[in-house]
Amino acid sequence: MSPETLLTCIVFLPAVWAIALVLFDAKAKEAMRYWGVLGTALTFALTIQLLAQFDSSKSGIQFKFDTPWIANWNVFFSLGVDGISLPLVVLTGFVCLLSMLASWSIEKNVKGYLILFLILETGMMGVFLSLDFFLFYVFWEVMLLPMYFLIGIWGGPRREYAAIKFFLYTLAGSVLMLIAMLMFYFNSDRSFDLLELARIAGGTSAGKSHVYGMSMQVAAFIMLFIGFAIKLPSFPFHTWLPDAHVEAPTPISMILAGVLLKMGGYGIIRIAFPLCPYGAQYAAYFLAALGVFSIIYGAFAAMAQTDFKRLVAYSSVSHMGYVLLGIAVWKIVDGKTVGREYWEMGLNAAMFQMIAHGISSTGMFFMVGVLYDRVHHRDINKFGGIAQVMPHYAGLAAVIFFAGLGLPGLCGFVGEVFSVLACWNFSPLLAIISASGVILTAGYILWTMQRVYLGPEYKGPHPEALVEMNSREMAIGYTLVAMAILFGVLPHLLFDPMHGSIQALTESLASSYEKLYGAIQTSQLP
Amino acid sequence: MGEVGLSAYLMVGAVLFVCGVVCMATKRNGIGVLMGVELVLNGANVNFVAFSRYTSLGLDGQTTALFVIVLAAAEAAVALAIALNFYNNHLTIDVDRGNELQG
Amino acid sequence: MPETGDILMFLLTAAWLLPLAGFVVEIYWLCFSHRLNKGAAYCAVACIGLGFLCSFSALMYWGFDTKWAALSEPAHHGHDTAHDAGRTEGGHEHDAHAANTEHADHAEHPDALTKKYYTGTYYELARFGALRVSLDWYIDSLTLVMFTMVTFIATCIHIFAIGYMHDELTEEYEDHEVHLHNGGHFSRPGRFHRFFAYLSLFSFSMLGIVLSGNIFQVFIFWELVGLSSYLLIGFYIERKSASTAANKAFIMNRVGDFGFLIGMMILWTSFGTFQFGDRTDGAHTEAGLFTMVRGQDGKLDVSEDGKQVYLQDAHGHRAEKNGQPLTISYMLLVAAGLGVFAGSIGKSAQFPLQTWLPDAMEGPTPVSALVHSATMVAAGVYLAARFYPVFTPEVLLGIAYIGCITLFIAATIALVVTDIKRVLAYSTISQLGYMMLAIGVAGWGAALFHLVTHAFFKSLMFLCSGSVIAGCHHVQDMSRMGGLRHKMKITAYTMLVGVIAIAGLAIPGTSIGLSGFYSKDAIVASALAYSELNPGHILLFIAPLVTAGITSFYMFRLWFLTFAGAPRDAHVYDHCHENPSIMTTPLLVLAVLAAGCAWGGEGGPLYRLIADSETVPAVARVASVGAAKVILPSHQGHESDVHHVHSTAGMLALISAIIGMSLAYLIYVKKTIDANQIRKQFSGVYDFLVDKWRFDSLYEAMFVAPVHIISAWCVSFDKGVLDPILHSAASLTVLTSKWDRAFDETFVDGLVNLVGTVTYNVGNSLKVIQTGRLRQYVMWIAVGVIVLFGALVTTIPK
Repeated sequence: MSPETLLTCIVFLPAVWAIALVLFDAKAKEAMRYWGVLGTALTFALTIQLLAQFDSSKSGIQFKFDTPWIANWNVFFSLGVDGISLPLVVLTGFVCLLSMLASWSIEKNVKGYLILFLILETGMMGVFLSLDFFLFYVFWEVMLLPMYFLIGIWGGPRREYAAIKFFLYTLAGSVLMLIAMLMFYFNSDRSFDLLELARIAGGTSAGKSHVYGMSMQVAAFIMLFIGFAIKLPSFPFHTWLPDAHVEAPTPISMILAGVLLKMGGYGIIRIAFPLCPYGAQYAAYFLAALGVFSIIYGAFAAMAQTDFKRLVAYSSVSHMGYVLLGIAVWKIVDGKTVGREYWEMGLNAAMFQMIAHGISSTGMFFMVGVLYDRVHHRDINKFGGIAQVMPHYAGLAAVIFFAGLGLPGLCGFVGEVFSVLACWNFSPLLAIISASGVILTAGYILWTMQRVYLGPEYKGPHPEALVEMNSREMAIGYTLVAMAILFGVLPHLLFDPMHGSIQALTESLASSYEKLYGAIQTSQLP
Repeated sequence: MGEVGLSAYLMVGAVLFVCGVVCMATKRNGIGVLMGVELVLNGANVNFVAFSRYTSLGLDGQTTALFVIVLAAAEAAVALAIALNFYNNHLTIDVDRGNELQG
Repeated sequence: MPETGDILMFLLTAAWLLPLAGFVVEIYWLCFSHRLNKGAAYCAVACIGLGFLCSFSALMYWGFDTKWAALSEPAHHGHDTAHDAGRTEGGHEHDAHAANTEHADHAEHPDALTKKYYTGTYYELARFGALRVSLDWYIDSLTLVMFTMVTFIATCIHIFAIGYMHDELTEEYEDHEVHLHNGGHFSRPGRFHRFFAYLSLFSFSMLGIVLSGNIFQVFIFWELVGLSSYLLIGFYIERKSASTAANKAFIMNRVGDFGFLIGMMILWTSFGTFQFGDRTDGAHTEAGLFTMVRGQDGKLDVSEDGKQVYLQDAHGHRAEKNGQPLTISYMLLVAAGLGVFAGSIGKSAQFPLQTWLPDAMEGPTPVSALVHSATMVAAGVYLAARFYPVFTPEVLLGIAYIGCITLFIAATIALVVTDIKRVLAYSTISQLGYMMLAIGVAGWGAALFHLVTHAFFKSLMFLCSGSVIAGCHHVQDMSRMGGLRHKMKITAYTMLVGVIAIAGLAIPGTSIGLSGFYSKDAIVASALAYSELNPGHILLFIAPLVTAGITSFYMFRLWFLTFAGAPRDAHVYDHCHENPSIMTTPLLVLAVLAAGCAWGGEGGPLYRLIADSETVPAVARVASVGAAKVILPSHQGHESDVHHVHSTAGMLALISAIIGMSLAYLIYVKKTIDANQIRKQFSGVYDFLVDKWRFDSLYEAMFVAPVHIISAWCVSFDKGVLDPILHSAASLTVLTSKWDRAFDETFVDGLVNLVGTVTYNVGNSLKVIQTGRLRQYVMWIAVGVIVLFGALVTTIPK
């Protein structure tokens, strides 16, 4: 399959599948579910094919192609993949397949649910693959609406509140992103091409010597950052997350935690940093501090929760803090990047943490969902003794929770520890504070496990419903556990494809900043 | 006895006109009202002819009078048809009973 | 012919991975097999037993390969500095045996006998430019000794556990300690398989620590032993006390790991490597941490002002990068050392993180024997010893004081505890304190010597206590025992061997004693030498000396209370019985080793083997250049500082131990002194000790409660600040739109409506004229005409 067809298929196959769903009889629930699984499975297979065709020794964008879309405005339908987006694309395919398998508990209006689900997948794939800012923005919005409905219709009792909160937060972010996008558009001879914009920012674009002004870069960076930080989510833009997670149905929580949050981190790496190097380093310390604060804050907040899902949601806030920290550890002294390798390590760690969180957090939400499907409540204090009645489930859940805790040998460890290790070079103080996260994380996860799984007996409602997982649930659980162990033991499987792209990114940003710094010193920059 | 002048004709026309108006205003019988209308028209006709004769208008006055006569005949036909219908509906031709158009 | 290093690596890797394979098989077994067979146990024993064979053959192979050079009398190269210069430039080989001139072939084959350690890489975890994180192996005599010791003890304990955990081989295990809300006892399927699976996982992780070739890898397995320890302490998951103890152990360890992580960050950022040893990559040799800090001669290369330490490369020069010499600030090096040591504090239950270990006794007794006395908790000491080259004298001083405080606190608490396992737990903490102290006072070999001997006699004693507990049907309180030696002969007398060993008793004047005598002797001697050189730190000698007496006292108290005297609880005594041979055989084997493993003392094979690995031979006195003005004693050869005081120290320690033993004998056997009387006399002290120096309540108040308060704050910040901000933004928007609506509805709509209304009203008021009366109309017309004419006439000007 030619790369163009492959990329286009990955993006649009779910949408086509969604259209075909219209033809199904609304009562044929099972048939539609299998159809949906087939669609997500095919998409996942395509992403695997992409992985196979990807050449991890190259650092640039691969399989890039442009087709004019709105020619008057210079908008292109431009897709491509590199080491930064590839793992996220595969992760999206993977998480979507698993959540589709976890969607059997959805009984209400299955057809509408599946259609929205598949459109959502198209939106997410599009975000990760598009190389045109406008296209990126469009996909960003495409993903937003189905999510709104999926939470708002299939959610829990306060679903409307949660859906609107989610929608407004994200929309506010995308408005800021839109403004920043137009700022770049009008400052760059009308271009939406992300690579070209990055080249202009770095001063390496052919024929264009001018660079964006300092204040413009700072302003644009702040707007882009807020837009992405909402998605990440980072303190103080995180309060939509617990509500959305608590109200969303289990599979949607899985997608939300597994993929949607990653868009924030991806956006920062792909757009905010390359497009405004000056703004990025200007705000780097603030970003890192925010990341560290999110780690600690999320962990503390998680400790006080009694709602199981809310706890996992706050743990996401904490875990995504490592992503922000890893991205931001860009130390500059006198215009020169100091210890670029440590920054590279931080970025790698951030990427790794995103994937690892995609596995562990998806797993945690799934494990909560399995319990919720049986006893229909999530109050931690009413649980206990689950390991006695569902030992198999408890074993798998323990592995997943330990992955979240950052136990070595499981996926959560590498991202956390590497980003913390990379941080000392940037700021010892932040590094020390972030390292204390390991204590808090252990605290809340172990305490939760003790209250939910350990103990002699289950005293809450519906004890009779606590039966061992069925084979479909086991398949999901085992897959997640296997992935958690695989990436924990062999992290280089993930680092290898990312490595080249991230190295190139740090090098180009370091040199861009050096040039910018020279221009600032000689006051050539507005 | 001198020449009969224009003012004499006008006087006759005016008397006829006033008689017609009074007739219209006072008669409750629909036919009576029609007759009043005829009187008004003929009063006017007298004036037309008189002005035609005593001024330099030529035959215009006579022509207009002829038109008025024709018109009056047509009007009488229509009005009588209305009266007949009115009678059919109300079993009377008392115009005071025909006040359905009031606001 | 493969390289020696490769053969050793192959054997040790096999020994390391076999338990992992066992774990996988046992987990599979657990899920899919019949609960009542012992397959998992045999599998676990086979794996660890094979592991022992591999380790032992590795040790033998290494010994024959080096012609047992390590065992021969070390030459006095401490005073022969000329040899220090004669190190090979290969970097891969350390040449501490350059002085062994008795080997004739030495001159021709400088490499043949001089390899101190072997290192290599399994695979890379990640690489960022020149930075590289990998899984490595690092093998020297210490690794080999530790491997052999760990696998051997683990094998014994696995075998013992088959007997001890026998009652788990059932579908319906009734747990009398757990009460259900309906008043009945809790019953569950047995967990025989699970227990052995966890043990295998632990063995794998523990061996991983020992084999690790870099500090990051140590951290990985450090956490994994923490996990196994968590699983094993919380083995009885239905007991609240067990799961709480498991959490406590894990979290306390994480507190230590927090420091460990900070230490690693400093090292990683300053050195750019985690590697212990030098790595040869083709022609290029990359210096490891130890070489970078200590260079080839084992000395810190400190700058003139004492603020910077120059890093060394693998060739004996100062390391450079872009023409600039690489340095690390001295304070940072101290901080890194303290950080890594913080990890050891957590794992080895040192002050101030010692409180988790006694609670960890909630786990089954074989676990206490293996994990919480012999191996895992000793890993902290192992790490401190392994990392010794990076520690500056300031760090060592800190280590010494931590060890000193710990050994005293734990010993005093052990005086009043009546739970047989907890006495052993406190004694473990105390002994670990001894080891730390030894490292701190530059008694590197003494610390590891004690580590090994302690592993033997403490696992022996724990297994004996397990045997007592199993024999007495899960009674652990010593006040209900007494006189058991009549019923449990093997247990009682093997235990006595352990007690004598830990007390450090010997035949006075002959220097012949059990293992603990030699190792404790070595530690006390190092401490005395240290305090003689640094009179300000005399406490570092007095505390261990006094504690030696306390140790002897509480250990004999334990033995006398349990095995001697008259039975205090007839019910327990009547039902008590000796255990089957599957449990007593390991006791006998371990008793032999506990008695004899340190044979020869510091001239014996064990000590020599260990001391061979000393990467920084502290042969000469080292004076500190940093903030703490201390002098580390020399301790090799007959003229060293330690040797001078050795006999004095040994004598004092022996006297102390004998006093302790005699007191215990007088109080608990002869009853010449009434224990209750003393207790009443010092009731304040007694309560303080029973409350474990009130550390638990202190930590509860200092850390646990604040954490909960802060987390409640965080939640209320979300609920009380962030959400209200959002909500008020939302309600502001709603309010604005309401205003907008009101404006539209009242003002704009009102105007339009007004026009309509006025028109309508006007029309309405005019409609009265429209009477429908024909005659009236005519009249109006007439009147109108008249009026018009009137107006016309009157207004038209004439």
